[in-house]
Order: sequence, then structure tokens, then C-alpha cells
Amino acid sequence: MTSIGTGYDLSASTYSPDGRIFQVEYANKAVENSGTAIGLRVKDGIILAVEKLVHSKLLIPEANRRIQTLDRHLGLATAGLLADGRQLADKARDESANFRDSFRSPAPVKYIADRLGSYVQVYTLYSSVRPFGISTIIGGVDQDGPSLFVIEPSGVFFGYHGAAVGKGRQLAKTELEKLKLSELSMRQAVFEAARIIYLVHDDSKEKTFELEMSWIGDETNGLHVPVPKDLLAEAEQRAKAELEDFE
Amino acid sequence: MLTASVYSNPGFDFSNLTRNNFLSEKGLPLPKATSTGTTIVGCVFEDGIILGADTRATEGPIVADKNCEKIHYITESIRCCGAGTAADTEFVTNLISSNMEMHALTHGRKPRVVTAMTMLKQYLFRHQGHVGAALVLGGVDATGPNLFTIAPHGSTDKLPYVTMGSGSLAAMAVFESNWQANMSRAAALQLVKDAISAGIFNDLGSGSNVDACIITVNHTEMLRNVEMPNERVQKERTYVFPKGTTAWKKEDIKKLVLSEEVTPIGVEAMDTD
Amino acid sequence: MDHIDMHRLKQGEVNLGTSIMAVQFDGGVVIGADSRTTTGSYIANRVTDKLTFLHDRIYCCRSGSAADTQAIADFGHYYLQMQAQTLGSAPAVLTAAAIMEKMCYQNKDQLSAGIIVAGWDKKTGPSVYNIPLGGGLFRQPWAIGGSGSTYVYGYCDATYQEGWGKDETVNFVKNTLTLAMSRDGSSGGCIRMCVITEDGVERKFIPGNELPKFWEGKEVLGEATQKALAAISAVSDVAPMAVEV
Repeated sequence: MTSIGTGYDLSASTYSPDGRIFQVEYANKAVENSGTAIGLRVKDGIILAVEKLVHSKLLIPEANRRIQTLDRHLGLATAGLLADGRQLADKARDESANFRDSFRSPAPVKYIADRLGSYVQVYTLYSSVRPFGISTIIGGVDQDGPSLFVIEPSGVFFGYHGAAVGKGRQLAKTELEKLKLSELSMRQAVFEAARIIYLVHDDSKEKTFELEMSWIGDETNGLHVPVPKDLLAEAEQRAKAELEDFE
Repeated sequence: MLTASVYSNPGFDFSNLTRNNFLSEKGLPLPKATSTGTTIVGCVFEDGIILGADTRATEGPIVADKNCEKIHYITESIRCCGAGTAADTEFVTNLISSNMEMHALTHGRKPRVVTAMTMLKQYLFRHQGHVGAALVLGGVDATGPNLFTIAPHGSTDKLPYVTMGSGSLAAMAVFESNWQANMSRAAALQLVKDAISAGIFNDLGSGSNVDACIITVNHTEMLRNVEMPNERVQKERTYVFPKGTTAWKKEDIKKLVLSEEVTPIGVEAMDTD
Repeated sequence: MDHIDMHRLKQGEVNLGTSIMAVQFDGGVVIGADSRTTTGSYIANRVTDKLTFLHDRIYCCRSGSAADTQAIADFGHYYLQMQAQTLGSAPAVLTAAAIMEKMCYQNKDQLSAGIIVAGWDKKTGPSVYNIPLGGGLFRQPWAIGGSGSTYVYGYCDATYQEGWGKDETVNFVKNTLTLAMSRDGSSGGCIRMCVITEDGVERKFIPGNELPKFWEGKEVLGEATQKALAAISAVSDVAPMAVEV
């Protein structure tokens, strides 16, 4: 990082001499400060789970959700600046609605990921704007079955079987790799997702968190909906129990 | 100072509309745009396309030009006959010819007939029939011989033999009775000549001579006035008066060209060092 | 023009006074059309192809203004190519129909176009969509359109049955169009058909002299009168009347 402090990091429209755009890298730092978000693509659906850090006891439970619905069949989880996530979700809803309007069919997940990727990339080109401080997990079920994508602040997007972004992403990824994702059912995946979020949460640094989970697939008739309260409670119960056994 | 309310009020001015409605009520309708009566045809033969056209241009009941050219250049091996409003056919074929040249230059190969057809139809459709060009487009390209008609509203047809213009019915009658598949060059040329002649003789809007254009893979032959069935013959009597018929009493020649002497001041010779 | 301009055609515009049809069956769709294009009372094209390619397994039948429907079909073709390229898969028939409908509805004031979109796709299988004059999108097991269609609604209602195979469907289309063409003055010529299935598109052509035969009228005068008339026409060889002004 020899170039830091020499003025190459002040604008997204300036490269450093070794070909990097520091503003984009700083945007990644903003993502790293955020609570973990994971996505699982299993044989019959998608599970999104978020470790939502609760900054104040005065906050109403379930406020400031970080999982958002884009369309009947599309869900999005963000890690990073909450407001940026809202803005991107609004854009995604526009895109999805436009696609429905033009072609009378639900937009493919990849199409939305592609459009959002292009949108995010534009914010890495100009000195007058700041790149998005979020990594976004988009999950959905379309004609070709379930699919899952991650869009980074640079605008690139990749498809994944399992995805993790935010503070605890390294540990979460290691845990995801241990799973046979393509053989799991949605119900099993809900328990695994809850377990991973509880596992990566660092009790010593952050006090409290809320587990936020949604799913899309055969269990939900292809709709993106929150995981039902009783199932969520059971998953949290099991996650806690497993964590105690582990410790 | 004008006091008529139509001029003093703000907003749109409808005075011309009122005037025009008044005039047309009095039996003076708006003048109609003149369109030229024409016979134009095209025909596929064994190794190419033959286009044909008459050479009469009209303005209402008046023959404006007795020997005009209605087969327009698009590219070397694509030509286009025009019927309808003369100015429109001239302009639209010129425009598309220019665009086709640009197209050929950017792509580095000979452009296709469908390309010209698409450009023409999209242009005509965009103008919703207000560009009054009815065209017969023919040519030979990498895909072989191609022949189309393009109507003023932008619809196109692809056929082995086509006619357009006010003489199209007469010409089509000739094609429908005598056209055959894979005709020889000579037979096809004769058929095109016959079709145009049918237009010249049976349609009031068409007349004068026959133009034809034979397009093959590597040669285009423009046969200007290939048939001249309406040539003016020598008058049987002469109406020129012999010199000296009129007597004169006085001769006076005037100098009409004025000349002026100009004195150059302060003009230096050009420096040629 | 002093009468009500039902077809909203511009002066001198080329018209597809038409009989068009599309029927879905188990493995695909059969679409068909007559081949007549008219300008006023003149037949501008007697072998027109009104079955227009939109994508590999999606066609449309065009009726109304030739210029308008050709332009719409060209745009539809373009949009579907873009769609197929960006999504990397063949577009659905519904998608094609939705695109066409959008153009028809948004430009309804300037267009006269009645279009039937039909084809086969992986998601739905065979399907037929009707897009009438001012827009609107209706999925139907069979659809007829154009000026000739009004004469054969009854025939279609009385004849169509579910569960037909390809050959029965082809015959249904052929018979319906023949009947429509025989009653509608601005339909006629030959019949063109396409059978669109998963495997491909098969074109069929029936020349005007090989159309199926239906009741074509019968002499109603008595035998004696007919004989008398025959005798008269044998004697007098009447020349057509010429008029000089």
C-alpha cells in the first residue's frame, strides 16, 4: 500500500500507479465492518440469513431489516451501509418490474444481478460519486431453478452455491464448504444457516444480534418470504444448543 | 394597428384554419399534391434482374418531361424504379444510395438488396405515407437476384415479377399472361419492353419511351430509350418563312454592353519571392 | 371519405384484407393465412406470405395494414433477438406476444394491425395469443383474425374439439380458411400454413385450385328455363360493350 496518502485514494475516478482504485477498496472495508450475511443455494431453493447487529436496546425488534424482497421470486441480503442496500433494492425492484412489464414473465435472477452489477459499476467511474458500500447477495428461483449471486462494490458479480459477506465471511465460507449444498433440502439448510450465523457471531466484540432469515423455493411455492416464526425459533434453539456443545 | 381578435389574443393562432375552411366552403379547396403517372416494372430472369420504366413525367394534365429517367442508381448492382411524387422518388433513392455507399465503405463489402429495401421501407414508414414514393427495387448480390416492391407507406413485397405506378395494371396483365420461370435474357427483355409498352399505350399517365436496366452478377447494363415508339416524325410541310418575307425600311444597331474604366490605387503587386 | 372508416386505413395504403388463423394442438401449433394483399380493388400481391418469422419457434399472422404489421413484426423480431442474446435462451411465446401487444397498444392511434402470435416454447409448450385491433393480449386454444374471420366464427365453434393431433388440426385450419376466403372478397388466393413444434417449423402450401371443395351454389331455375337459356346463348355471340368518351 505504498501509494496510500499520496492523493490516489481521494476519488473513484483516479487509479493508483499500480492500477488500483482505492475508493473501491475502501468500500470493501465498509462491508467488512458489517454483520455477516450468508446465502445458500440448495437443491429446491434458496436460504438467505443475516446477522443483524443491534446497536441499541431502544430499537424495535425486527426493525431495519437487511433482507429485502425485490419481486415475488427474488430476495436480496446486504452487508455494508444499510442505506446503500435500500437504494440498490429500490433499483432492483424497478428493474424487475420493468422486465415483467415488457415481457410478461418474472425476470431471471441472473438478469437482475447483471443489471445491478452494471449499476454498481457506474459508481466506480466518477469523482462526483462514492462507490456502493455494500456487498449484495441476490437469491431467487426462476425458470432454471434456484440461483444465487453476489455483487461486490466494484460491480463484479459471481454465481455461488454458498455465499458469505461481511464481518464473519471467512469462517462462514469454511462452514459452507463443509456442506453438501446441492443435496440439502430447504428445511435442513435453514438449520445450517442459523447455525453458521450463530457460529460466526463474536460475542466478545458485539453484544447482541438478531437472526434474520428468508427463503425461496418449493417450500414457499416459489415466493420470497421470511422463514416462519416457529421454524426460525427452532433453528435458533438448535444453533444455540450446538454452540454450547461446541464450547 | 390591427384590432382583429385573432391577432391580439395570446396562444395559438387559428386564423389560417378559419380562412381555409371559409375558402373550401366557397369551393376553393386546398391544392392537391401532384403525383406522376408512371409504369415501372421488374422481372427476374435466369441470371439476374431486368427493370423497366416509361419516361413520361406529368404535372396534373400536363406532360412535364417527355424523356425523364425513372430508373435510379442505388449501387452498381442495385437499381430502383420510382413512381409517385417525382421529387420524393428522386430524393429517397439519392439518400438511400448515399447511405448504401457509406454502408459498403464501413463494412468493406458489397451491400445486399435487402439492406436497401430495409432502409427504404423504414424511411417511408417513418414518414407515414407523406413521402409519396412507390418503388421497384432490384439487384444482384451475394445471395443472388432480388426483386421487391415498396409502397409509399413502407410495406414491401418480394415477387418474381412486379409492376407499380398508374400503368401497373396494364403491365401486370402482360406479365400474368406471358411470364415464365427461368427466362432467357432476350425473352425477359422483350417481356419487360412489352409490359412498359402496355403502360405507355393504355395508361394516360404513362408515355414516351422505354428505359430498361439489365443487372447480372458482374455487369449492369442501362438501356436508355431501348424502345422509342413515340418519336416525332418529319412534318409533311414546312412552316418556316423564307428570308425577306417581311420588308424593312430602317436599320439601327445599338451598343448594349457598357464598359467602365477603373483606375487602381494603392494596389501593390503580389509578392512572389 | 364520408362513411365510417372502420379499418382506419390511410388513403391508398396497402391492406391485408385477410383470413388468418392459429390453432394449438398437443405437440405444437398450426398457423395459416390466405395470400391476398389489396390496394383498394386491386390485388397488389396474390401470393403474399402473411406468416411472419419472429423467432426460431415463434411466428405471427398479420392482418390490417401491410406497412404497419411489417414494421411491428420487424421490431418484434429485433427485440426477440436482443432478448435471446442477453438471456442466452429462446424467448417464450408469451414474451413475444407481450412485446407485440405493447407496440400495438402504445401506438394504437397510428396503427391498424390485428396480429396472432403463436409458437412453441419450453415452459408452456404450444400456445396461441390473439392481439386484436387496439391492443390487448388473449391466450386462446384457437384464434381467427382478419376481415374473413367474421364469416367463420360459427364454423370454428361448431367444429373445434380439444385433443386433436397434427393432421386433424391442419385440416381444420385448411377448411376454415377455405370457407373464409370463399365468402370474403378481400381474402383469397392460396393458403399458406406452418406447423410449429419442438422439432422445427414445417411449411405447407395449398394452391388456389387445390383448396377443399364445399357447397358452391346450384342453379335454381327450372329445367325448361335452363334449356331455353342455353339455346339463346348458343345463338348469340355477344361482343363486350366498349365505351368511348
